[in-house]
Amino acid sequence: MTDEPRIEAFGDSGVLLTLEGGSTVERARRVHRLAQVIRTETGSAPGWSNPIPAAASVLVPVDPLEPGVDVAIERLRSVLSDLDDVAVTSPEPQQRVEIPTRYGGVDGPDLAALAAARGLTEPEAIELHASVDYDVLFLGFAPGFAYLGDVPEAIAMPRLATPRTRVPAGSVAIAGRQTAVYPFESPGGWQLIGRTDVRLWDVDRESPALLTPGDVVRFVPV
Amino acid sequence: MAAVLEVLAPGLLTTVQDAGRRGFGDLGVPISGACDPWSLAVANALLGNDPDAAALECTLIGPELRALGDVAVAVAGADLEAEIRPSGRRVMPGTTAWLRSGEVLALPSPADAGARAYVAIPGGIDVPAVLGSRSTCLVAGFGGFEGRALRAGDLVLAARSAPGSGWRDGLPWPGPHTPPGGGPVRILPGPDSNTGLLAALAATVWTVSPSSDRRGVRLIGEALTTVSTAGERLTTGVLPGTVQLPPDGQPIVLLADAQPTGGYPVIGVVIEADLPIVGQLATGDEARFEVVDPDEARASNLARRAEFEAAVGALRAG
Repeated sequence: MTDEPRIEAFGDSGVLLTLEGGSTVERARRVHRLAQVIRTETGSAPGWSNPIPAAASVLVPVDPLEPGVDVAIERLRSVLSDLDDVAVTSPEPQQRVEIPTRYGGVDGPDLAALAAARGLTEPEAIELHASVDYDVLFLGFAPGFAYLGDVPEAIAMPRLATPRTRVPAGSVAIAGRQTAVYPFESPGGWQLIGRTDVRLWDVDRESPALLTPGDVVRFVPV
Repeated sequence: MAAVLEVLAPGLLTTVQDAGRRGFGDLGVPISGACDPWSLAVANALLGNDPDAAALECTLIGPELRALGDVAVAVAGADLEAEIRPSGRRVMPGTTAWLRSGEVLALPSPADAGARAYVAIPGGIDVPAVLGSRSTCLVAGFGGFEGRALRAGDLVLAARSAPGSGWRDGLPWPGPHTPPGGGPVRILPGPDSNTGLLAALAATVWTVSPSSDRRGVRLIGEALTTVSTAGERLTTGVLPGTVQLPPDGQPIVLLADAQPTGGYPVIGVVIEADLPIVGQLATGDEARFEVVDPDEARASNLARRAEFEAAVGALRAG
């Protein structure tokens, strides 16, 4: 690895590895690879839980007594020191996922204001959002909620000042340079620009989350 | 046939919870599980169940459950004034009771302190495991009873027809209970903390906000100075027990249903032994923190587990 992650205890039950530098997308790829390597090296060991990748860090939950955080940190240092090998650089097959999206109107109540604020027409804003292959950066917020990036700068928008108490399931949204689909009805502060019928989460599927890190996503206007 | 309880009244928020659904945080899945894992384990141990078996977690106002056959139950955690109707016999936290067919177990109201009671039945609650756990994931609607809180008319099935050997009516738990409204919550410093901030956190008597829920205990008190990351850090993984500091300076202690990633600075992490105390905090309760070092955390965690094993041993020895 080019940069060594910073490794620190996360209380008595986790180890946090933080990466710095690079663009959002590039850093998320390194985080994803780091989580994969840790999963492979520690996945079956007692007291180790599946690592949780995020924007620039990987949290590795461990049992506080066995292995305990100190032993876990030593183990992770040793895993990282062996890391110039294959695992980190070998590319993995990427899944390409298309998300048919109804933009604007009742499905995307914030689209008109977003376009106006950025000096665009609605069709221009839609075209920009649908013109990019997005990386799945990481998942969080809710089961199957994938943070996607980067949104073209021309349609980037901060979160709403006051979050909505109810965002419909399937809403396609923008916050800053990220975009996402809400898997469930929930509260939310992102700008709603459209809606899809694709199911982001289904516990009866072999892989319940439709999108996982490493996948590439494209929104298709319908 | 396994014993059955019919839900006559569901209570405020009664859900099926076990030790949680670990290992799916990378898919955005909360751990779920009991907010007070100690009391879950106590209720299970009293019936000879696996300590991690699924039980009912009852919040503040518990359910009314009618036995459709004779059934052994165990109650632990907060005292919700559990009683058997019509006899009116009290069931104290950390004891067992034998419900005769037609009798009702009711947990009508919180007595003094604590937020959550656990009701176990033989073998645990028989619902399908989803992603390795029977816990209810409320946000995504799966696990437990169709991913939701209990409703009137639901039938709660036990995985076994009888409790483990050594069981008797009125059996008391011979070990410690989660201290209700308990002493200070011990924390280790978090990645975004500093000495001054931790001192201020520990010097403040916090009050539990009514907006607290299974995702987190929100605290009210004199606002802490937010850390230099200006109230936001890059989203990172979090765990139950994580103490976050949002921009308003009012800390949040995450609980079982917390999302697996969060964007607020992390100023502390509750030690494992004290997670049950946080899980029993109710609206209006006072909460205090004490910063400890890793050696003390480890010693406390070891002692807590040893106490559990000793109590289980005493139960088995009769």
